[in-house]
Amino acid sequence: MHVVIINGSPRVQKYSNTEKIIAAFAKGLSEKQATFETYAISDRKTWGIIRDAYLKNEEILIALPLFVECVPGLLLEFLETLPKKDEHTRLSFLLQSGFAEGCQLRCGEAFLEKLPEYLGVRYGGCLVKGGNFGIRLLEEEKQAQGTKPYQAMGRLFAEGDGFFREEAKKFTGPEYFPLPIRLIIGLMQKTLAKKMFQKAAASWGCSVPLDEKVWE
Amino acid sequence: MVFMIDTTTKHIGKGIGEELLRSGGNASEFELIDTVGMHISHCIGCNYCWLKTPGVCAIRDDYEPILKKMSSADQVWLISDTHFGFVSWQTKNIVDRIMPLVTMYLKFKDGQMRHVMRYDHQPDIGIIYTGDGDRAYLEWWCQRTALNLGSRSLGVFSESNGKEAVSCML
Repeated sequence: MHVVIINGSPRVQKYSNTEKIIAAFAKGLSEKQATFETYAISDRKTWGIIRDAYLKNEEILIALPLFVECVPGLLLEFLETLPKKDEHTRLSFLLQSGFAEGCQLRCGEAFLEKLPEYLGVRYGGCLVKGGNFGIRLLEEEKQAQGTKPYQAMGRLFAEGDGFFREEAKKFTGPEYFPLPIRLIIGLMQKTLAKKMFQKAAASWGCSVPLDEKVWE
Repeated sequence: MVFMIDTTTKHIGKGIGEELLRSGGNASEFELIDTVGMHISHCIGCNYCWLKTPGVCAIRDDYEPILKKMSSADQVWLISDTHFGFVSWQTKNIVDRIMPLVTMYLKFKDGQMRHVMRYDHQPDIGIIYTGDGDRAYLEWWCQRTALNLGSRSLGVFSESNGKEAVSCML
């Protein structure tokens, strides 16, 4: 199997959480002797090259972050430039988000499920996983730890069934957190997480409160 | 205030605005922006509006005045062409860049995690679309988008049902 992997994130590759997820996923592909080539739409100058790869290959994976319940605007713009293909091409998706619950990604997933038909190609399923916001804020070693589960999904994908297997569905984790977990996370958000975000902001040079009302 | 953002190639917002006035709407209570000729970038996901310059987008283009108006409006109507059954990338870019209206802080609301709003006032959101939109999907997306803003969906209307949308604006 040879997979064309397109990073659909508008964020520059260096800081892209999706890019780090792709790296782990691709490692899994390699372990199963699958080969791959990767592209990123964040650099518009490469769109022609990405389109060529899309046209010449039959196994395409678009990995993307959820932006306001669906695909990022930049990816939509890129998708509109793709010519129609036929059902020999399979288009799969890896949809990731900051919010951790599965329910947060379902609206985006529903769009992706219908998208291949508009492009004339076959749907290969969608791997859905939240809880990825912090990857960028972690040190390199912890980033690798955080994205390691995607390696197993790369191995699974290399077996040829797209993301339709039960393992891929389970990978999402809980649709909603049970009440006790929500209470604990809610408390953490008011205390530890707030401090963590403030610390991250300070390291970025921020000197005002994160909830500053700039227009009041 | 009713605020309409028209990204359509046919500029249908003008006609909807006229219909609103004919139906008794107050001209001082509504504003239409047609984005043709405006430079509005996509969101680059830099997170600066949460962590570096809270509430302020790092991209310096024509978007900020639009976001300010969205923030103070009671209703925001996205007037959009459709592709793949969904809003156009031009409209999606406008929506993707609402992030300065929410903070980095998180809380649970109705069992789901949400961002804490930056401001007390939130606009309700509606969609008027041209072309072959997937109305059921657009309804869902509009509801979810409003949820992100702590507001509610005003509904989704095709161009031919623009009068129905206008009745929601009065």
